[in-house]
Amino acid sequence: MKLEFKVNGKTYELDVDPESRLLDVLREELGLTGAKEGCGEGECGACTVIMDGLAVNSCLVLAAQARGKEILTVEGLAENGELDRLQQAFIDNGAIQCGYCTPGMLMSAKALFLRNPHPSETEIRTALAGNLCRCTGYVNIINAVKDAAEGAV
Amino acid sequence: MAEDKGVKQLATPERQAAAAEQTLKYVGRNLPLHDAVAKATGKIQYTGDMNFPGMLQAKILFSPLAHARIKKIDASAALALPGVAAVFSHENTPQTLYNSQVWFAGQEARADERLFHDTVRFVGDRVAAVVATDKKIAAKALGLIKVEYEELPALFDPEEALTENAVEIHPGGSPFFEKEFGCGNPSETFKQAELIVEDRVETPKIHHAAMETHVCIAVPDHSGKITVYTPCQILYSVRLVVAEVLGLPYNKVRILKTPMGGSFGGKQEVTIEPLAAFFAQATGKPVKIEYNRQESIISTRTRTRTIGYVRTAVDQNGKILAREVKTIVDTGAYTSNGAIVSMAMGKKLFRLYRIENQVYRVQAVHTNTPVAGAARGYGSPQIHAITEINLDHVANRLGLDPVEFRLRNLVHPYDEDLSGGPSLGNARIIDCVEEGAKLFRWHERRTQAEAGRSTNGRFRRGVGMACATHSNGYFGAFQDFTTMTLRMLEDGSMILNSGIHELGCGTVTTMKQIIAEVLDINPDRIEAPEGDTETSPYDVGSQASRVTHICGAGALKAARKVKEIFRREASKILGCEPEDVVMRSEIVWSKHKPEEKMTYGEMVRLIQQKNRTEIIATETYQAADNPGSYGANFVEVEVDTLTGLVRVIDLLAVHDVGKAINPGFVKGQIYGGVQMGIGLALSEDLQIDPKSGKAKGDSFARYHLINAPDMPSVEVLLIEKGGDLGPFGAKSIGEIATCPTAPAVVNAVNHALGTNLTTLPLTPERILAALNE
Ligand code: FES
Ligand code: FES
Repeated sequence: MKLEFKVNGKTYELDVDPESRLLDVLREELGLTGAKEGCGEGECGACTVIMDGLAVNSCLVLAAQARGKEILTVEGLAENGELDRLQQAFIDNGAIQCGYCTPGMLMSAKALFLRNPHPSETEIRTALAGNLCRCTGYVNIINAVKDAAEGAV
Repeated sequence: MAEDKGVKQLATPERQAAAAEQTLKYVGRNLPLHDAVAKATGKIQYTGDMNFPGMLQAKILFSPLAHARIKKIDASAALALPGVAAVFSHENTPQTLYNSQVWFAGQEARADERLFHDTVRFVGDRVAAVVATDKKIAAKALGLIKVEYEELPALFDPEEALTENAVEIHPGGSPFFEKEFGCGNPSETFKQAELIVEDRVETPKIHHAAMETHVCIAVPDHSGKITVYTPCQILYSVRLVVAEVLGLPYNKVRILKTPMGGSFGGKQEVTIEPLAAFFAQATGKPVKIEYNRQESIISTRTRTRTIGYVRTAVDQNGKILAREVKTIVDTGAYTSNGAIVSMAMGKKLFRLYRIENQVYRVQAVHTNTPVAGAARGYGSPQIHAITEINLDHVANRLGLDPVEFRLRNLVHPYDEDLSGGPSLGNARIIDCVEEGAKLFRWHERRTQAEAGRSTNGRFRRGVGMACATHSNGYFGAFQDFTTMTLRMLEDGSMILNSGIHELGCGTVTTMKQIIAEVLDINPDRIEAPEGDTETSPYDVGSQASRVTHICGAGALKAARKVKEIFRREASKILGCEPEDVVMRSEIVWSKHKPEEKMTYGEMVRLIQQKNRTEIIATETYQAADNPGSYGANFVEVEVDTLTGLVRVIDLLAVHDVGKAINPGFVKGQIYGGVQMGIGLALSEDLQIDPKSGKAKGDSFARYHLINAPDMPSVEVLLIEKGGDLGPFGAKSIGEIATCPTAPAVVNAVNHALGTNLTTLPLTPERILAALNE
């Protein structure tokens, strides 16, 4: 199957198995290994990317569903070498430990900002409900998203 | 920078005195994790992201049966599939027996595991493996392997394992390990006791749930050497087991620690590395094994399921007179660390309360269930759940406030361990409980919760607390030391060469902060790569809560030695005495000639040119103490009596850490430990089906981790009074962080409901059943 889509602002035309998952296409075809597979069934959010402005679990999206879409991954978050304010807030708040959940967390938070630039703490927690983290207890992640929302970074 | 969010530091006279004595420049500061930027940008390469030319992928066939003899394996169809390089089973792999948790050569441990067995002992045991050019082909080939089994009777209940005629999973049956130790004369004391309170407490098998599943890559080379890339906790343990299974000399096995996507003890033992290493050796190609979530849950390691019977005798004043604790430790189908974890949990009983008459008895058993092993706290969360739930029960029966009751019995600084273990050191648990109760407004909130009950029908509030202790390394039990080489280069930058492992907790940055403090150098100018068994000096590994206390002391010792050498060599250049050499912010001069300054780098160059030597030191630090780390959690919960759901409203964690080298990292450990502890209390359980032996909780859809909306706000209070041999007085936090949480939550639920729930986790079903009683 031919897959034409945009990833991090760049247009790609690939020949992929229609059954393959967006996560595999990103990781294996494009070498974008930021998105991780933590469960493969939509429960952990480690594979979260943004598709046409919405956070999706790329382990549940088939390549065919990504046709003509615009995808943003963690690799595309920093612009011109400058970190996104979410990334900076994660670093400054100690929101990163092992880092395995981080790309997914960042993309879920970014998608939240796209539709709601000034979320409340409850809205932040809800937006991250599908992203599991075993290291941080979410405390500093929530602090980081709050900081970024308030423009403190 | 979020400097002190949620943390209040105590301004005690001792602290102020310490501060006046010594102003620290790098230690005590919240520097970010050394690889935070790489992690935030997705650039860091975890093992699953790595590829090698010609690399093959292995997939394992796991047993669908709990106990069976393999009669026949027909791999012909799998082998015929294009892309399949090899199929392995017990028929064509080494039958060397090993134990997955040995971490030093010569360690005695029951070896009962093989790469593949001819008998499978749990649902998830390894039957065979396919090595193929890609994962899809390997998975397809797995489906083509035909296995004939002869089913054997199976055993899932640890108490049943102790009955006569129980199924024998290994020769000799269960218990495979038994021990008793204690102090005083508990049986006599029990006879005279005014009140004895007994409980049976059970903790479940849980999954470590690192977000990164188990993964490693083994790469063979032309000389017969096998290099293994693995996110492990103990490089030298991996080397030991791989070398033994493959029959290679230790120097033909090289283990490299890769970035770790979380472990919590789950990657401490050697599980998939010998398989990958053998496949690489046999095929001559690099081989990757990457488990999916289900495979990581059922086929790596779990926390031990533990059943505890505890009896506590008290007098009317609330003094604990005697205690008897018996545990049954279920290590699953293979022995792993069964004996050591059994002992480790027992030892904690003698290090938290002053109990003059106490006995601990343990029986470790095998069951046809997933294998247990190291898990954050190494038995501490289990034993503290058992005893701290019981202590609340005791307080209740005495009509005493749980905080007051504990304060009458807790250990004091520099108490001895009555079972003969190392001194408790500057044990500050009383400070934790007193300061914590104040900050949490314990008495007020407890009274409020009780008062609210009559007016509040459906939702009931409860307030609970619990205490815990954990170790700082192996001193007193096993050899514990570390060797490190520290160099200063010709531009003044530095390299620490050691066998450290970064687990995401901040070990690398912590070492840098310690060295930076001694040498007054910017921590960013220090490289502290993780271990590589071919080039790094020996280290015991990232286990036993030893890293900051022992490795940190090693880094401190090496830094002091480098400073001594630097000043000695610089004095020759500067024409002064070594003690006259001033080193400040990477500038060096003689105090007699303050106008002649140069950088550290310029000085190193001159030392090379004129003194013909370099600035390098290799130091071994031998652990000489093992104080207790202490913690107390205070928590308020709300129970929905209609649904049985528990909401943790907020939690205060107070920890005696000696000194926080990096308070941000310390708090990070505590927040994560609390999340894990709430899961243990309320929702996490592998749920082994008592008929089939299958784990019901074998996916995140059916295994419930606490997520962001469920997570309460957490406040942290650190008690920093030093006093022991860690660097700048630092003690451990990574494991103790999770130990008090589960019993504190359970105690709060029991307070809310007036129940005595003792089987973890407190699922809605269990809560509703208790309410209907
Ligand atoms: S890997 Fe996609 S949600 Fe877990
Ligand atoms: S930082 Fe490790 S899983 Fe979130």
